[in-house]
Amino acid sequence: MSEPGPQEAMKFEILKAFGNGPRLAKLAVAGRKAIETPNFVTVTSRGTVPHVTPDNLTKHDLVNASYFGLEDFIELHQKNPARRPPIFQTPPSKSGASPLYSFTGTPLSTISVLAPRRIPAVTAPMGNGNDFLSVFTSTGFRNLTVGEYASAIDALRPDVAIAMADLTYGNKKTTPLSKRAIRMAERSDDWIHSLANALGQTPSGTALFAPTLPLPYSTQWEYLETLSEMTDRIRGLAVYDVDIIPDLKDYPPLLPLPRLSLDAPVSPHHILRQVALGADILALPLLNTVSDSGVALTFTFPPPPPSSSSTSPMPLGIDLSHESHQTALAPLMQGCTCYACAAHHRAYVNHLLSAREMLAWTLLQIHNHHVLNAFFAGVRASLRSGEEQFEADREAFMRAYEPEVPAGSGSRPRARGYHLKSAGGDDRLNKSSWGKYGDGSSWPEPEPAAGGGTPAGMDGAPPVRSTTETPLVPEGDATELDQKGFAEIDR
Amino acid sequence: MPVATQASLKGLTPEQLEETSCRLCLNNTYHLGLKPGQAVLDAVGGAHRLQGWRHNILTDSGGFQMVSLLKLATITEEGVRFLSPHDGTPMLLTPEHSVALQNSIGSDIMMQLDDVLVTTSPDRERMRVAMERSVRWLDRCIAAHARPETQNLFCIIQGGLDLEMRRECTLAMVERDTPGIAVGGLSGGEAKDDYCRVVETVTALLPELKPRYVMGIGYPEDLVVSVALGADMFDCVWPTRTARFGNAVTKNGVLNLKHSRYAADFGPIEEGCGCICCREGEGGLGITRAFISHNANKETVAAHLLTIHNVWYQLNLMREMREAIIEDRFPAYVRGFFAALYPDRANYPTWAVDTLRRVGVDLLD
Ligand SMILES: [Zn+2]
Ligand SMILES: [Zn+2]
Repeated sequence: MSEPGPQEAMKFEILKAFGNGPRLAKLAVAGRKAIETPNFVTVTSRGTVPHVTPDNLTKHDLVNASYFGLEDFIELHQKNPARRPPIFQTPPSKSGASPLYSFTGTPLSTISVLAPRRIPAVTAPMGNGNDFLSVFTSTGFRNLTVGEYASAIDALRPDVAIAMADLTYGNKKTTPLSKRAIRMAERSDDWIHSLANALGQTPSGTALFAPTLPLPYSTQWEYLETLSEMTDRIRGLAVYDVDIIPDLKDYPPLLPLPRLSLDAPVSPHHILRQVALGADILALPLLNTVSDSGVALTFTFPPPPPSSSSTSPMPLGIDLSHESHQTALAPLMQGCTCYACAAHHRAYVNHLLSAREMLAWTLLQIHNHHVLNAFFAGVRASLRSGEEQFEADREAFMRAYEPEVPAGSGSRPRARGYHLKSAGGDDRLNKSSWGKYGDGSSWPEPEPAAGGGTPAGMDGAPPVRSTTETPLVPEGDATELDQKGFAEIDR
Repeated sequence: MPVATQASLKGLTPEQLEETSCRLCLNNTYHLGLKPGQAVLDAVGGAHRLQGWRHNILTDSGGFQMVSLLKLATITEEGVRFLSPHDGTPMLLTPEHSVALQNSIGSDIMMQLDDVLVTTSPDRERMRVAMERSVRWLDRCIAAHARPETQNLFCIIQGGLDLEMRRECTLAMVERDTPGIAVGGLSGGEAKDDYCRVVETVTALLPELKPRYVMGIGYPEDLVVSVALGADMFDCVWPTRTARFGNAVTKNGVLNLKHSRYAADFGPIEEGCGCICCREGEGGLGITRAFISHNANKETVAAHLLTIHNVWYQLNLMREMREAIIEDRFPAYVRGFFAALYPDRANYPTWAVDTLRRVGVDLLD
């Protein structure tokens, strides 16, 4: 191994490891706010934390690290397929920030993680090729070769880049020992080599994270062996299935590497399980989903001491669409110090959800990110008291709270966008909402008035109830969208 | 005044709205009356508490919504009858009910319920009925107003495009001595010349020391000309609505950032703009047109950023006009404004040139 490794821009220092289980560590990237782990990564959509403008990210200190899917930026121009995607045309910034930051307005204190695909990603119907991954952009599927990905990393200079793996995405488990599984391991092995080589020639300050595969140990042990022989070039692991973590003990060179879990946990209980297994940083698409569903998370770690009056478990969140919150002047969560709780109350969020005002989702994002930040701080504090304490707290948490985050009964942001898998059933997007007095019939959506007021801007029934994806939201009513076009490159 | 129809300004937190320098925003009584409804407003303690806004709120009467939905409503001397768009229940909006709702909302400025007709309505007789009824309804509003010491009730002058009728209405309304005076029924598609004539006619008859509010006006040219005609305050949904379609309001005109020509334009939304999106460095976000283009109609954040910019633009335009008036250089300011908007003088709108000339501002000077 004589090739030069990446610059030591990233440092991962394990402060305390509990055997083969959870660990406390610190991840520092030059120029960014260092983060203590276990911690989480916020999942962005098209370069932005859904519903939250960058000033609010900074002001309310919501985000430690952000995950970007390259597929959000590399759509082919419909009329001019040779055009370089705009993000690659970003001029050098005065602050020296990489294009990933200056294009998206991401606060410079945030650690950036770039991966080829979003989380969750849409399954590609055609599958991947020998040297390319099939990715889904706003203008359709396209191929992303290892070489293209390497030059994207080189141009965008993220702090962390996750290497391409031959994953199918969408359907999580591949049948063990199937041809597909074996090919996945082989291709991923090829790809990590070619990517590391490509990047090795142009040190960019980016830390390369190698994926571990959502396959049983028996199918990927050779691949893991490969990884353990190239730790001069890989700086971390991107774990697509946390169940592989215990097996990493057989590969000592891999143990000091930070483990970024992309195994999207769906509840805090799952988060705790992943932490217990030894995940250091967890990507949490869960947060966007929960906020969109109108639910404010309400848990803390460790849980409050059990009350003598009630034996039933507490909910993990409250559904703010519920009418019981109509006049509730309580904060979203008792004792929460986030901006949404300090400046607003449940009644307001309830009203915003009912009126389908976008601020509802903004406030929920602010609150829910705050709750998760506090949750992870609690996890770290508990770990500092030792593994036994952590296990006791985790058990108490399991007893104290319900197993699942409530679904949320409210309508979500209008779902329209390329990342929604079509779910069949063409519900009308905008039901008419006006009736004439003394006439039973319903009226078409009114034309927006020129001034003075607007009929509910985001009116209409939520079409597809997506449980996994933050829908992309257009504004205004259907008539106007129809006239002016939606998400079109040219008109 | 930016318009926060349903007690929220399109995705901006009250804190962000405050940062645009906004100190007075509009809530729509009609919408708040339906959602969250009077009972909730009373329980919560008004719209300021509902939305966490510590500055001023103006509410309309709820009557304006009837202009756009006129076919859906039946207007009688009693009030406006319509079906709730939410559950179809028959509803009646009377002057008393409108005032009671606005008392529950607790707005700092409330508007009388008026009988609004589109100004272009050819029915002069109906226009007169509406005008006279609006005066009677003002009396009913004044009588029903429960908190005149903390909430300011404005009258609304009606009378369509008939200047004589407007004069008559103005005199009747001014006689009622409300703390502020609005000119209503405009922005309904009338010719700009006609619009200017009405504003000019009405402002000539108004007392000096009461705020004059022209309702539903918001295009930058309209604001500038109306200020020249002696109007003080305005509201319009246009800057925020147009933001949601990817449009940036700038001193050089409206840019549709969705267009592919902006996809790789790395300039700020507007060169020299002082809003947080356009500013670079400390406290500025350095947002580029390219990023808005990337997310226009795809992520709400693009709309939020443009909303911040557009609201800032409008409020800054008003601030610049105030400063120009105080510093006695308003005509020069107006000339500069039109020059930036229309690089070719030949494109200056005739209505603006003519109107401004009447009040002593020669655009072609
Ligand atoms: Zn909170
Ligand atoms: Zn700006």
